Amino acid sequence: MDDLRVPIGSFFAILGAMLLIAFFTVTTGPALATPRVNLWCGLAMLLFGAIMLLLARRGKA
Amino acid sequence: MHPGVIDYIILATYFLYVLGIGWLVKRRVKTGADFLTSGHSIPVWVTSLAFIATNLGAQEVIGMVASGAKYGMLTCNFYWLGAIPGMIILGVFMMPFYYGSRARSAPEYLKLRFDEKTRGFNAITFAVMTIFSSGISMYALGLLFQLVLGWSFTNSVLLSAAIVLAYTYLGGLTSAIYNEVLQFFLIVLGFAPLAIMAVAKAGGWAGVTARTTAWMAGQPAFAHNPDVMTHTWKYMGHASSNLMGVEWFGMLFGLGWVLGCSYWCCNFLVVQRAMAAQSMAASRLTPLIAAFPKMVMPVVVIAPGLAAIALHQMGTPGILVPKGNTYNYNLVLTNLMAQFYPSGLLGVGLTALFASFMSGMAGNVTAFNTVFTYDIYQSYIRKHASDAHYFKVARITTVVGVLLSIGAAYWAARSNNIMDFLQLVFGFVNAPLFATFLLGMFWKRTTGHGAFAGLIVGEIVATLTLGLSIAEGTGGWFGVVHTFPSAMAQNFWIAILSFTSCLIFTVLVSMMTRPKPVAELENLVYGYTKIPVERNVPWYERPILLAVIVGVACILFNIWFW
Repeated sequence: MDDLRVPIGSFFAILGAMLLIAFFTVTTGPALATPRVNLWCGLAMLLFGAIMLLLARRGKA
Repeated sequence: MHPGVIDYIILATYFLYVLGIGWLVKRRVKTGADFLTSGHSIPVWVTSLAFIATNLGAQEVIGMVASGAKYGMLTCNFYWLGAIPGMIILGVFMMPFYYGSRARSAPEYLKLRFDEKTRGFNAITFAVMTIFSSGISMYALGLLFQLVLGWSFTNSVLLSAAIVLAYTYLGGLTSAIYNEVLQFFLIVLGFAPLAIMAVAKAGGWAGVTARTTAWMAGQPAFAHNPDVMTHTWKYMGHASSNLMGVEWFGMLFGLGWVLGCSYWCCNFLVVQRAMAAQSMAASRLTPLIAAFPKMVMPVVVIAPGLAAIALHQMGTPGILVPKGNTYNYNLVLTNLMAQFYPSGLLGVGLTALFASFMSGMAGNVTAFNTVFTYDIYQSYIRKHASDAHYFKVARITTVVGVLLSIGAAYWAARSNNIMDFLQLVFGFVNAPLFATFLLGMFWKRTTGHGAFAGLIVGEIVATLTLGLSIAEGTGGWFGVVHTFPSAMAQNFWIAILSFTSCLIFTVLVSMMTRPKPVAELENLVYGYTKIPVERNVPWYERPILLAVIVGVACILFNIWFW
């Protein structure tokens, strides 16, 4: 393995996608949970994953 | 806490990634040196993040949230006083000798600089300590998951141990370091939403300040300084006016100078990460770059603890639960997760807990490996074997190390209070080391006999101080000469006395014994080591400049939350 950014980026992209799935499927949550928190965190992780993958691509070029 | 299917899928995905990284790294690991020292091949941003991730074990994360709830902003001293200065000293002053000496471990540096007995003593105490640390960490994880999820202690211990064993066995140090970086991001991204939501729910920082002040005003001992939870230094004038029960001198000298520096500069667990860097310059940059994220970690790990007190003061149930006549602070993190994380994010939070545990344990296993193979096996059992032979020994040591840690975890489960005691002991076993390394690197007159005598005296003084003083029921087996206001103060003063006596005895015995010939000090001591001066490199690759930036930023943080 040459570039650690690839597994890290893909891991967080998958994690973000899973949180988006959770946002659409999980309807109940604990009392104090902020509404749509799975959506915001999912998007944030997708973004982080995408940036990592992009950096890896640029690093290779 | 009731995780759903999606939470288990997230956890399983993480396990697959961890094992996958181990498997991918395996192809690069061809020799024993690759396995144990990474063959100096790891980029600096990776070593930097691994450098702090290996310290972010499960106990660190759970413990810092707990301390945040118990002591408030004073806990930040473990970062802005107990970590950053030590990391600066390592990067600027000490790394050139570790790296320049070509030693493969911290005990090996002691052998090159001093003698065999100093190395042996350090290697053996370190090896024993890493096994127990990893065992305690595993025990803490098993206990926590049993308590909050109802999982069996044996299952969580064996599952996590098996995964750590698999990826450290496959890829050795490189695999551990690469996984630590993934773990670092997971811990930060997994717990940051909790910090943000908890603080927001408590009314932002202004709400946290107002509510913790109202909470402290209700306690007679702090009625005259109720804002004690949101200040770091304001009430350090006297031990009785702050929550840790420590006065400024014990804090500054004990935590900042002795304990902070002995951990960050002399504990091979963290130093090993910097030694794996590609060049001397990169190894010096490792702790300095790591200092930036380290400095802001309190946002993720201390803020939730403070917010928990504010939420409790607002009447939110189930966050700060009573235990005896105090509170169970160790459950604050998981209680917050149960209250704030819906299914999905809960999976990320649980995975982050597993990750923190694994980074702590893998760090111990890889450090144990290197020290056992090079400093114990190669030095005392079989001296001149081939690299292939040591590679095999290192792999077997990985398995044995993990098995011993599991044993230590079960032993801890059977006798809980012994583990608390051991943790205290680890603190002071390390304390005199900083004096030994400091004198070794900067005073050419220091001799092997001096270093060894100093270390032994330092340990004896630490044991005597604990045996003759008492704090919150700890210590005092030989009688009580002094009573400390808190266990924290006792811990800091043990470190101060141990360090000082080690320093004095090392100097005294060195003056009476024959010094090492100057020719043998090359690359080991200041003045006899060529320290590269970085010219024509961008500012962010200059250790001194980075150190100044980090130092100034750290002072500003201290002033900001004075």
